Amino acid sequence: MRVSIILRYVGTVMLCVSAFMMVSAVISYMNNIDSGFYPLLLSALLTFTLGAFPMLFVPRATSISNKEGFSIVVGSWVLASVVGMFPYLIWGGEFSLINAWFESVSGFTATGATILNDIEQLPQGLLFYRTSSNWLGGVGVVMFALVILPSLGTSRMSLSNVELSSLAKDNYRYRTQVIVRILLVVYVGLTAVTTLALKAAGLRWFDALNHAMSACATAGFSTKNASIAFYDNVVVELILAGAMLISSIHFGLIYATFLRKSNNIFRSEVVRTYITIVILSTLFVATSLFGANIFPTVWESLRHSFFQVVSLITTTGFATADTNLWTPFAIVILIFVSIVCACAGSTTGGMKIDRVLIFCKILMARIRRQQHPNAVIRIRVDGIAQDADLLNSVVVFIVAYIGLIFMATLTNTLFGQDLMTAFSSAVACIGNVGPGFGEVGSMGNFANIPAILKLQDSLLMLMGRLEIFGFIQLFFLKWWR
Amino acid sequence: MKSLGNRVTVGFLSIVLLLFASGIISLFELGNLSNDTEIILSASRRNIELAKDMLNYAHEHSQATLYVACFDDTAQRDVCRRTMSDLEGKLAAARSEAVDATGLDSLSASITRLRAISESYLFEPQAIPTDTLVVTANATAHSGMRWYNEQYKATYDQMIERIEEFMTHTHSSLAPRAEQLNKNAYRSVAPVLISLVVLIAIVLMFYFFIRVYCVAPIAKINRALGDFLSYRIPFTIKADLRDELKELAENIEKLIGISKINNR
Repeated sequence: MRVSIILRYVGTVMLCVSAFMMVSAVISYMNNIDSGFYPLLLSALLTFTLGAFPMLFVPRATSISNKEGFSIVVGSWVLASVVGMFPYLIWGGEFSLINAWFESVSGFTATGATILNDIEQLPQGLLFYRTSSNWLGGVGVVMFALVILPSLGTSRMSLSNVELSSLAKDNYRYRTQVIVRILLVVYVGLTAVTTLALKAAGLRWFDALNHAMSACATAGFSTKNASIAFYDNVVVELILAGAMLISSIHFGLIYATFLRKSNNIFRSEVVRTYITIVILSTLFVATSLFGANIFPTVWESLRHSFFQVVSLITTTGFATADTNLWTPFAIVILIFVSIVCACAGSTTGGMKIDRVLIFCKILMARIRRQQHPNAVIRIRVDGIAQDADLLNSVVVFIVAYIGLIFMATLTNTLFGQDLMTAFSSAVACIGNVGPGFGEVGSMGNFANIPAILKLQDSLLMLMGRLEIFGFIQLFFLKWWR
Repeated sequence: MKSLGNRVTVGFLSIVLLLFASGIISLFELGNLSNDTEIILSASRRNIELAKDMLNYAHEHSQATLYVACFDDTAQRDVCRRTMSDLEGKLAAARSEAVDATGLDSLSASITRLRAISESYLFEPQAIPTDTLVVTANATAHSGMRWYNEQYKATYDQMIERIEEFMTHTHSSLAPRAEQLNKNAYRSVAPVLISLVVLIAIVLMFYFFIRVYCVAPIAKINRALGDFLSYRIPFTIKADLRDELKELAENIEKLIGISKINNR
């Protein structure tokens, strides 16, 4: 393992982060040099120096091993979160060291959970920086580095092997270089279209851009304390729900659909399952809300249940209502969609519908094998037989995911949280969803939870973003030899 | 950048520039902190001064009113007029200068009420209901005292309470302002602390890179040269050499080649 090579490529990610800090500083400058300007400027300088320094000495690598690739990706996320704290720490306010770390990790892992009681007191530059950390984290900090720095050459392959899980790459039938381009074209294009649509719906340019970035990253940072409920505008909600839904579908499939290729959204079994879950969940929640008289009309019940289901299943976490006040049945469905989450190969986090679909097929195959012990049963997704290694990794991942939720719930209750808050915050953090229920509900925040739990939740967010095993590997000494 | 010297220079310069930038920003934040502190302290001092003057004028007004009401000392009427207008002048000053104008409206209302009560008695005595049967000097003094105790004193006490509230409010509002100051102080120290942490990381990286890309290759070249000179083992370096070190290794190889030709 060549530490200097890892440092060089993690450095390129730091440069990306510093570029976004600089853009945020420019926004602060344009806003009459608000209180975010100097913190952002200094942070950009520090991050730039930290990122550029290894490039002075370390030559470009002609090849990168898988281990090095893993370390670069994990290191990038962890270090991006570390340098991402700088503007918050320097600005002060509600940001203590732990709070700044939590907010930064939540930003770069596109979780969208916050410790801020009053978001609107932040200066505009810092608000934009906060959202841009979501946007960077959404598509993967490393993906940006791969495109921005074409000097990487053959190293691209190893890095994207790590960055995109095999499930995520399944629908990309292109070379790695093209995959990266597809990712960015779809991502940037979608953000631009959503911004324009939100502006047309009546939002200020600043709010439109921030909410578009947050929605396309399926992250959930808003510029308003009341999140999307602030606008109370059906058109805005529909635009954001549309952006979240599209961002939660495999980007390769979206690209293929635009190019009218055969492997498009409409033929994908995973997408069909996903959309079915969204529709059914919306109908169940709406019926429950209307039945309990929480909303006076069917239309209002459908409106809020659709937005909340989409917001949680896409791991975004925007809110139009206080879901804590909803019926237990609706809450259980919302927790279910927060665990299942959306498609692999998108900006979403969580367990992913692909894995759940394969897991269900494994269960069905097991039942069939009991009926026909000698049958050869192949598990297929979109007509393609899945190999045993992939099936095994899916089961192991789901077991590990549920195990982590259980352990985190246990720790949360140990520190005095009620069961609903403890469980839902564990689900919300590992799935990079953001809001949970109880104290950390859609209209609440993580400000009042103990510092040790904030650290634990940050760890869960990182683990969720790096699909658990990538992150755990780093802590084994053998890995570094 | 092809030269090792240049790389080291740029490395050092970046450290120095970073220190300089963080120092400048800290100085700027310290300047802000100093200004904020000065503004808050002077505003607080001014509020207390204004409240003290108001209390003095109110006291003078009360004394003069007492003389007029009880002893019919007409010379004190001017004092009443002057102290009332002084009191109102201080209120106007407080309105224009106060950082926090909370409580000034109720104070203004109580001053207006006091003026109305005192003027109606002192300058229009016919408006005051007097006992028409007893019009002697003693009786006048008695009714004046009664008016003073029953009407004037209550309004006066209310006004004093408002002035005291205005004064104590200045103190109680110091707590959130002090908290703001604390934040500002933190903001002026945070850049230096964070820069220090980043600089330690950079210095550690610098040490690591110098060891890996300068010291280790030189040691390898030295060892390979020593092996060649002592045991005639062919001069080969198993490392990625760059810049001057690469040139050094190539030059040593050339020198060995020349010496081999000369020895033949």
